[in-house]
Amino acid sequence: MASAHRPALWIGLHLPALPLEAWATTLPPDQRLQPLALMAGARVEAVNAEAARQGLQVGMKRATALALVPQLIRGQADAAREAEALQALAHVALQFTPSVAQHDVATVLLEVSTTLRAMGGLQRLLEQLRDNTAHWGFTQQVALAPTAGAAALLARWLGAPNRSESERTLSIRDLKKLVDQAPLALLSAGAAQWPQLQLMGLSTVADLRTLPRDGLSRRLGPALLAEVDALCGDTPQAHTWVTLPDYFEARLDLFSRADTTQQVLYGAQLLLERLVAWARARRGRVQRLQLHMLHEARHRHDDSTPARSELDLALAEPSNDLKHMSVLLRERLAQTPLPAPTSELRIQCLELALTEAPSGELFPTRASEQQGLMRLVERLQARLGRDAVRSVQAVADHRPERATQCVPLNAADLVRNLPQRHRRAQAGHADQGAEAPRPQQNLVRPVWLLQSPQALGVRQSAPCLDGHPLRILAGPERIETGWWDSSLMVRDYFVAQARDQSLVWIYRSRLPLQVTEPDDGAGGPELADGGWFLHGRFA
Amino acid sequence: MDALSVVLSDASSAAALIHPDVWLGHQLGRPAHRAIPTGWAALDRQLPGGGWPRQALTELLLKHPGVGEMRLLATALAATARGEHGPARAVMLFDPPATPCAWAMEQLGLPAQTLVVVHGREGPRGAARRHLLTATDVLWALEQALRSGHAGAVLAWLPDRLRADALRRLQLAAQAHDGPAFLLRGIDERLKPSPAPLRLALHPDGLHGLSVMVLKRRGPPLQQALSLPLPPLAAVDRPHRVRPVQDPVPTGQPDAAEAVVVAAALQGLPEAVV
Repeated sequence: MASAHRPALWIGLHLPALPLEAWATTLPPDQRLQPLALMAGARVEAVNAEAARQGLQVGMKRATALALVPQLIRGQADAAREAEALQALAHVALQFTPSVAQHDVATVLLEVSTTLRAMGGLQRLLEQLRDNTAHWGFTQQVALAPTAGAAALLARWLGAPNRSESERTLSIRDLKKLVDQAPLALLSAGAAQWPQLQLMGLSTVADLRTLPRDGLSRRLGPALLAEVDALCGDTPQAHTWVTLPDYFEARLDLFSRADTTQQVLYGAQLLLERLVAWARARRGRVQRLQLHMLHEARHRHDDSTPARSELDLALAEPSNDLKHMSVLLRERLAQTPLPAPTSELRIQCLELALTEAPSGELFPTRASEQQGLMRLVERLQARLGRDAVRSVQAVADHRPERATQCVPLNAADLVRNLPQRHRRAQAGHADQGAEAPRPQQNLVRPVWLLQSPQALGVRQSAPCLDGHPLRILAGPERIETGWWDSSLMVRDYFVAQARDQSLVWIYRSRLPLQVTEPDDGAGGPELADGGWFLHGRFA
Repeated sequence: MDALSVVLSDASSAAALIHPDVWLGHQLGRPAHRAIPTGWAALDRQLPGGGWPRQALTELLLKHPGVGEMRLLATALAATARGEHGPARAVMLFDPPATPCAWAMEQLGLPAQTLVVVHGREGPRGAARRHLLTATDVLWALEQALRSGHAGAVLAWLPDRLRADALRRLQLAAQAHDGPAFLLRGIDERLKPSPAPLRLALHPDGLHGLSVMVLKRRGPPLQQALSLPLPPLAAVDRPHRVRPVQDPVPTGQPDAAEAVVVAAALQGLPEAVV
C-alpha cells in the first residue's frame, strides 16, 4: 500500500469487549450503568463493570448470577449486531485514511502512512480517532506496527496483564524482537491449533521460529507459518478492505420495546451517529433522512396497530451536525404520537449532498448568520409542523383573498432573498441611509384582512360595526372578477372610519347570493341586510 | 444657568460615571445598545436611547388590531429588514391576528420575502377566534427566536391571559436578541405589571393620526399622549373624482363634510391588477 520510500504504518484497533458493548449501546443510557451480563446459553459470557463489582464472574450459571444480582439485565450475543458496530467504527476510521481493513470480528486496521501529514501528525490522528469513537463507549486497544498482522497482534496483546500501552512506531527489527515474545494463541491460525501447539511445547512465536520450517509445515499446515511470515514483513499480505456503501441504511433491534418517544430517540441517536460517520467518510452531508419504526401489536388480536410508521426529516441545508439533527428528530418525534410500542428502528439516508462543506468561521459573518436563521426556522418547523411557519407572497389577483398567498416557508429561500447589507451606510455616513429608497407609504390595501368577512348590521341604510354606524370615507372601489374559476366576486369596497376612529375596509356585495368558495370549508359569509361586510382593518 | 441645574448636571455626570445603567429620575435612561429610530422625531425624543430598544421587549397595548400599529412600526421594521442596523434579517410575526396582506406590507416598505409568519397549531385564525390558540407552542417558538439571536425584528401577538413568569422568561430571552421585539397585547393589560422596560398604549387619533401614550419607560413619566401623523391611505388622501353621496351617512363627527366618495385609487397595485 505504501510507496517504496515510505514505510507502511498500521494502526490496529481492537475491541476486546465488543459483544457486550455492542449490546450495551442499544440500551437507554440509564440502563447501561446497571449490572449487565451477556449470556451464552445458560452461562454468563461477559459482564460489565457494575455486574463484576457485585460479584458476577464469567462462566457462572444463570441461576447463580440471578441469585447474586436479582435485577441483572441479560442479553444474548448477536453476531450481526457486533458486525454493524464494527462497521460503524470502520466508517469513522475511513475519515482518516482510505485504507481500512477488517482483520477479524473485533479488529480494524488502518494504514495511515499516506495520510499522516494531512491529518496533522500521528499523535493528533490518534486523538481524533479516539474522540470520534468515544461516544459509543467501546473499550479500545490501539497499537502501531509496520505490518498489518503485527498491528492486529499487538492490539490484541495489549489486553494481556503484563503488557502496557505502546504507541510508538517500530522498525522491522524491533518488531521481530517484540513479536518473538508474543503468545501463539493470539494469532488467528494459532488459536485454532492451540491444543496441538501446547502439546508440542510451543507457546511463543520465538519457539516456532527456532524449529525447522519443513517439519512444522508438514505437521501444522502452512497457515500458521504464512501468518508469522506476513506478520514479520517477510511476505506480503492480502487485505479485505472496507468499502463504503453508496446507500446508507442501518437498523436496530431495540432490546426492550419502546413505549415512549424518548426511548425511541435513544435508539435513533445511535443510528444517527452511524449515519453521520458514514456521511463524513463519504465526504458528504446529509440532506434528507427517513426513520422507520416497526411496531408491535399491543395484544394478539390487535389489527388496528399499523405495522410500521415513517418519519421523514428533510434539512433545509445539508448538515453533518449530529446535535442539530438529533434536536430536529426530537422535536419531530415529540410532535407525532407513537401509534404503538416500537420494537425496531431503521434509518435511511435518502439524499446526500456531495458538495463542498462551508468553511467554519471564527467571527460571525453573513454565512454563519444565514445558517443560524436557517436552523431557527428548521427547529420551529420541526416542532410546530412545516405548515405553521409560513412565508407570504404577493399574487397578482384582484380578489383580496387571493392577492396574498401563505405558503410553508422554505428556509433556504428566505435566506437567499434577504437583501445584502449596506456596507457604505455602515461606514459612518449617518445620513447616507436616506438614500435608500423610501417606502411608498400610502396604503391601498389593509394589512389585516379578515379570513372570513364579518357581516355588518345596517341602521338607516348605513353599515354599523358593533352597533355604531361607520363613516364612509372613500369608495367605491369595484372589484368584479373571478367568473372563470367559479368564485365570482362582485363587490364594492369602501374605506370607512369606525367609532373609535380606526379605519376599516368594508364592502357591499352586489350579488343577490354570495358564492361560497369551495375550499373555504365552513362556507362563505351569509348575506346580511344590505349585504355589508367588514373585510379588513388598516393597521 | 441656575444653581439647581448645575447641581443636577454634575449629579448626572456623576451618575454616568458610576455605571452607564444609572440615571437620575428626571432624565431618560441610556441603553447600552444603540436604539433603532422610530421614524418620528417627536417619539424618538421621548424614548430612552432615541428609538425602539434592542435586546429588550417593547409592549404595545391596543384595543384591537388595526389602529395604525403597523404604520407606526413600518419604518423601523423596514430598516431592520434592509440591514441598516446590522445584518439584514427577517421580520418574524408570531401569531398575527390575520395573515398580513403582502401588498400592504410592500407598500409599507417591507418586502414580503423578508417576512416569516408563525401561526399557532390551529393555523391562521381570524381576529375573532383568539381564544382557540394553544399558547405554549407560540411562546416556545417566540422564545426560541429571541434566544437564537438570528431574527431581525420580532412582533408577537400574545394570548390574553398570560402568566407573569412567561413574560419574564421572554424578557430574559430578549437579551440575546439584537433587534426590536414588540409584544402586541390588549389595552386591558395596562393595569397589570410587566417586565418590559418600554410600554406604550396606542389609540387611533383622527383620520391619519395615532395617539401614543407612554405608560412606562426608563425615565420620568410622560403625562400627556403624543400625537403622531401616520402615512395616509391613498384612497382617502387623494380623491380624484367626487360624486355626490347617495346614502346620507349619519355621523356624529364634526368633520363629516370631509367624507367623500371617490373612485378606486389603484396606486401601488401591480400591473396585472391595474
